[in-house]
Amino acid sequence: MAEEKFIFDSLQDCRTIKDFLASLTDGFDKGSITLSTDEDAIELCPMGLLNFTVKAKKKGNANKLSIKVEWKDSGSGRKCESTGLTVE
Amino acid sequence: MLTFEGLDENFKFIVLEVENQARSTRRFLDEPTRKQHAKITNRDDYIDNLKTIIENKCYSRIHLDKSLDTNQINRIRAIQVMCVNLEKIADYFVNIVKQMRYLDDQSFIKKYDYDDMFDTILDRLGSILDAFRNENMSKALYICKAEPLLDAAYKVHFDRIMNEIGLGRDAQSLITALFIFRYFERVGDALLNIGEAIIFSMLGERIKIEQFEALQQTLSKSGFSDSFADIDFRAIWGTRSGCRIGKVEKRDGEELSPEERKQGSIYKEGSLEKIRKERESINRWRRTFPGLVAEIYGFHEDNGKGAMLVEFLNGCTLDELILSGDDEYVRNALFIFESTVLETWTTTLEKLPVRTNYIGQLMARLDGVLQTHPEFRRMPKHLGDAEVLSSEDLLRRCAELERGLEAPFSVFIHGDFNINNVVYNHEAQQVHYIDLYRSRDFDYIQDASVFLVSNFRMPLFDQQHRERINNVISQFHGFVKGFARQHGDATFQARMAFALARSFYTSTRFELNFGFAKEMYNRSLFLLEKIHQFDDGDWERFALPEDILYY
Repeated sequence: MAEEKFIFDSLQDCRTIKDFLASLTDGFDKGSITLSTDEDAIELCPMGLLNFTVKAKKKGNANKLSIKVEWKDSGSGRKCESTGLTVE
Repeated sequence: MLTFEGLDENFKFIVLEVENQARSTRRFLDEPTRKQHAKITNRDDYIDNLKTIIENKCYSRIHLDKSLDTNQINRIRAIQVMCVNLEKIADYFVNIVKQMRYLDDQSFIKKYDYDDMFDTILDRLGSILDAFRNENMSKALYICKAEPLLDAAYKVHFDRIMNEIGLGRDAQSLITALFIFRYFERVGDALLNIGEAIIFSMLGERIKIEQFEALQQTLSKSGFSDSFADIDFRAIWGTRSGCRIGKVEKRDGEELSPEERKQGSIYKEGSLEKIRKERESINRWRRTFPGLVAEIYGFHEDNGKGAMLVEFLNGCTLDELILSGDDEYVRNALFIFESTVLETWTTTLEKLPVRTNYIGQLMARLDGVLQTHPEFRRMPKHLGDAEVLSSEDLLRRCAELERGLEAPFSVFIHGDFNINNVVYNHEAQQVHYIDLYRSRDFDYIQDASVFLVSNFRMPLFDQQHRERINNVISQFHGFVKGFARQHGDATFQARMAFALARSFYTSTRFELNFGFAKEMYNRSLFLLEKIHQFDDGDWERFALPEDILYY
């Protein structure tokens, strides 16, 4: 099965990062997060048990905070259950 | 024109004789005969003698005639250099003729096209007298250009002969043919020396044409031919004298003569429009700030191209200084630099508002950016509910916003105020501006932003260098803020955001380190987003996120 991928790589200040994170956490509430570029879209359906990893690193003046959420869909390729809205 | 009795006649004869040898050699290659062979080898003795006579006259004139001024001495020196090289050319023709006997079949050489090479040589030999007598810079440069042309022709023959040698037949003839074409190539070297000698006789100093030619060819092959103005020409002239400023001490009470100060010149060629524009700019700068920019020694136009010889200014560029000089020198240089900027901005300030076009400038260079980094075009994105505009959309909207913004006054700007376009002369305690073809009356923020980003984009990442670069940025930015305050410029932060977005984005086209280029691209988009999100309507309240300036 083809891999679907979405990347958004940018420079932001704390305020806009907060906005982006808020938009993503909304998706956790709804059980659906849609990430799209132009015509390609990935719909993720976070539900059930999810692996949640937070990593932080500091070296000199370089800092890194990574937040990773991993999970497996229970069915294959199905749409998110209608616990929430899909926002596109 | 200066004349030297007898010497001029002798010189004319040697030029004509060498031209004749070229024609005779061509005939011999077309149709070798014993008679022609003998004629060419015998004529060579005459040319050798003529060369000795001319050299003797040159030396004795220089030593005995005390009334000669520098210009006259330079012309005599040029004659001597030219006749030595003419005699060499004549020798090469004799060598070509002598090589012919080693060909298994003398018509073998006709397999190769040598007519173009002879045409190039004869054209140039025929231009020597006119160029020298009438001090015709255009002709002198034309003579110099024989060298790359003959080099290129030699390369074609060389490659072909190498291929044919690989086939395993006619080894002796092929190697002989290679030797013959090698002599043509050496004729080119001698013609270059002659062209340079004529230029020397006009300017009293040596310039190095061949590096420029080599560079030009390389650039043309790399597809850069239309953007010479974007290329840093100084790189090919080697380190500036006086650049290791740690060792340069001001000599007490001892002034350098103008001749000593001028240690060379720079030859620039490009589209007529650009070269003309640079000449106009230099002239305007010189009228108001005579010592700030280089003197123009020569200018000529030819087939839609312009060429100019400008004074080579001693000192080192600010980037060289910042990267290698002592802290004390850097502080001193920045002080002089800022004083100069302040003086130019204040003197040329016109209190008439001027529209800016930073986004327009960015758009005009976008193709260049995308050619180097096709990735630097953002498609529209959504992260859940959050929307990210495409780069195209963002630029379009920012261009609209820029229409509502103007600079409150104009100054005469440098126009390409990169850190390496400022030369610092420690000995003279002076800075100079170079590469001025974009100078115009415009918003001073254009120069300020270009200068700041040209510091930022220096690809040095160790802490020590970066700290130094950041210090320069911080100091200069402080200076600009002070100038804005002093002149009641309340929207300068907004214009700085537009201008920095432009410079960060466009700088990526010269940066092949993808990570660093990405850093600048992201900074540009960040600024554009800040501009786009600013919904106050009153640009006076826009605050530049200053962190953007520091890496």
